[in-house]
Amino acid sequence: MTTVRDGTTLQSSVRRWLHHRRGLLIATGLMVLFPFVVSLVVDGQGISAVFANDEGNARFLQGLAIEIFILALYALSYDLILGVTGLLSFGHAMFFAVGAYTFGIMLKTAELAWPTALLVVLAVAILQALLFGVVLPRVKGIAFALITLGIASMFWIVIQSSDLSDYAGAEIGLQGIPAPARFLDSTNERFVFYLITLAILVMVYMLYTRIADSPLGKVANAIRDNEDRALMLGFNTFWFKLVVLVIASITAALAGTIHTIHQPIVTPNVASLGYTVTALLVILIGGVGTISGAIVGAAVFRLLQYYLDRWFGGSSDLLIGAAYVLLVLYLPYGIVGTWRVKRLQIADGRKRLAALFRS
Amino acid sequence: MSLLRLDEVHTFIGQYHILEGVSLDVPAGDIVALLGRNGAGKTTTLKTILGLTPARKGTVQLDGQDITLRRSFDIANMGIGYVPEHRAIFADLSVEENLRIAERNKGDLAEREELIFGLFPDLKRLIRLPGTNLSGGQQQMLAVARALVPDNRLLLIDEPSEGLAPVIIEQMMEAITRLSEHSTVLLVEQNFIVAGRLAQHYVIIEEGKSVKAGSMADLVDDDETIKRYLGAA
Repeated sequence: MTTVRDGTTLQSSVRRWLHHRRGLLIATGLMVLFPFVVSLVVDGQGISAVFANDEGNARFLQGLAIEIFILALYALSYDLILGVTGLLSFGHAMFFAVGAYTFGIMLKTAELAWPTALLVVLAVAILQALLFGVVLPRVKGIAFALITLGIASMFWIVIQSSDLSDYAGAEIGLQGIPAPARFLDSTNERFVFYLITLAILVMVYMLYTRIADSPLGKVANAIRDNEDRALMLGFNTFWFKLVVLVIASITAALAGTIHTIHQPIVTPNVASLGYTVTALLVILIGGVGTISGAIVGAAVFRLLQYYLDRWFGGSSDLLIGAAYVLLVLYLPYGIVGTWRVKRLQIADGRKRLAALFRS
Repeated sequence: MSLLRLDEVHTFIGQYHILEGVSLDVPAGDIVALLGRNGAGKTTTLKTILGLTPARKGTVQLDGQDITLRRSFDIANMGIGYVPEHRAIFADLSVEENLRIAERNKGDLAEREELIFGLFPDLKRLIRLPGTNLSGGQQQMLAVARALVPDNRLLLIDEPSEGLAPVIIEQMMEAITRLSEHSTVLLVEQNFIVAGRLAQHYVIIEEGKSVKAGSMADLVDDDETIKRYLGAA
């Protein structure tokens, strides 16, 4: 037996990890099975239909799920800077759009191989986080929000300019982006791409929960609570905020990259203020600062949007607005946040109920 | 030998001239009470020492070294602990995380566990609870305990007795007396009875200026000064 640490065996630490992550493992397993279940039950087709990427509900719902995964990745990155660190940025859509546009332009115009294009996205993502970082030590709170809004608005205008239309496609955006590889092709290899996107989301989620529990995450929490106090404990808070921005920027750019592969078009919409508000709504629905709330929120947001639009058509916007008002009124900490608050009360109530039946 | 010395310090917040000449000496190993009415500039004096509202004129010296224009986290890392007013804990972190985050070197907490939990046995019992679930008194204890985790030469404590029940104030005073065996203390305190029992020296600030300083033993009998500057007898 291999001894890892403190005399614990490898087996027992694996068992502990499995136990600790059981919710995530079950959810991931269900998501892997999901297309097969839909194919069998809804479409009345066999399992092979999923591997063959046949038309049907299974294929369509995988596409919808991929959109949810992308939105979840994007919202996770926003939760890290807003929920965990307390930095209010109104320029978050730019983090996503820069990834989407860079990857698209690298494939289409520069005709790079996808690993190289991905490295370019990584470099650009780090650079833009540093750009936001330049203003970090000077402004806080609303002033930071407004400056980030300004930077992102400039970007939004620049990508729509006709001077750059050969690269960014002006108002129409990027179209005709080639599939980066045979397995990175949402049209012809839907199931493989679905699994890849799911795997990326699960890995990023695990990384984010690790960060939130790490000393970096605790100092980020301290900065959110009161930056002066964090300074007075001797932390150079600037570096902590910069690291958080870099991680969030890379994550959002990765989400943008997957978006480009999946669609495969990029419109200027993803750089607009509206898309930043989308991230904000998603984490408000899921629960600000909860990490897992970003994924729950993304699912609720996208499904509400899709089904309300399908059932009610033009009046769906009104209903979506009403749904948000209800969510905020009755779930003030978001779905995951409220669950965490109420969990103890629910457990307590269940115990009292059981005692009532026993007597 | 003074550990901390302020010399004619002037501080502005925005356009407002808050400190208009504060000078004070904090002898190593002692407790000095900073007294004065509301709005006299006591808290701003602490924040100026810490570089949160840096002085525009005058100097702040720690152990003979000029720290006037150093950055806050550098000043903190030179061995100054700060207990802000209003129970300044991190509400979302647990008691243990609140303490651990204050470690300057790994193992600081383990080293001082005995001292901290000796002073505040409640905190040991509540170690896993989030800060927001603590009572006001417990939060104040945690705020003081946090300043004890690293090896601080100087502690700046702002209004430790504010809004606490008398029995908790007693416990807090006992704690401050005990911790002053380990480090020098500059204390802001509205409650003159508390200040009088804890400190060996006093400095009175009035409208942003230090106007009187001396031994606490003399001040306790000096009804006229107390009435004039502190408005209490």
